[in-house]
Amino acid sequence: MAEPYKRSRTLRRVKVKLASRTTVHYKQRKPKLGTCGVTGQTLKGVPRELPNEIKKLSKTERRPERPYGGVLSSKAMRSVFKEKARKE
Amino acid sequence: MIEIGRLCLKIAGRDAGKKCVIVDVLDSTFVLIDGETRRRKCNILHVEPLKNKVELKKNASHEDVKKVFEGLGLKTRETKPKQKTEKPVKKKKVSEKKKDVKKKTGKKKETKVESTLEDKAASAKKEDKTASKKTSEQVKK
Repeated sequence: MAEPYKRSRTLRRVKVKLASRTTVHYKQRKPKLGTCGVTGQTLKGVPRELPNEIKKLSKTERRPERPYGGVLSSKAMRSVFKEKARKE
Repeated sequence: MIEIGRLCLKIAGRDAGKKCVIVDVLDSTFVLIDGETRRRKCNILHVEPLKNKVELKKNASHEDVKKVFEGLGLKTRETKPKQKTEKPVKKKKVSEKKKDVKKKTGKKKETKVESTLEDKAASAKKEDKTASKKTSEQVKK
């Protein structure tokens, strides 16, 4: 019987062709795409990688270089600042 | 609302959330802004006008804007001019081993040249001597 971690679907399976046979490698699944906290749409400019891969990127490659970058979409951010301007 | 001297809040891009003032109205869509943001051309849609207005000339310099902002208790964005630096010249690194090899080879060549010259001179002398001996013998005969 295979090990318990191979019986569940937490890890994704990758078929690898070797010289003699094809085997299955078990790899960690990528995290979900980032979404806007207000509108719920997928964030652009945010890489979908495992934490160890994101660690290798520079700070500017991890999220957009604007306030609320990587948290809110640009539309949502604009509406936040518009409200702020109109309240002043 | 969009006029020279109008205080605005930038709502798009990396300067979003920063206050600026309209310095020039370029056309129906673009304005020139300065202040907490960098001095730049900007779309009207990317700027939200505020209630306040300040007195500014058309195309006012950054220093004038700075004075106005100091009066309002705001800071302007200052960019430092780039300092000129000379390009570093790369020096070829030669390892000590290679240096030693070069020295040795150089000496050898010199010695070889000297030796060859000396040999030539000696051989020439010998030839002269043998020739003179032969001539003396012939004379004796």
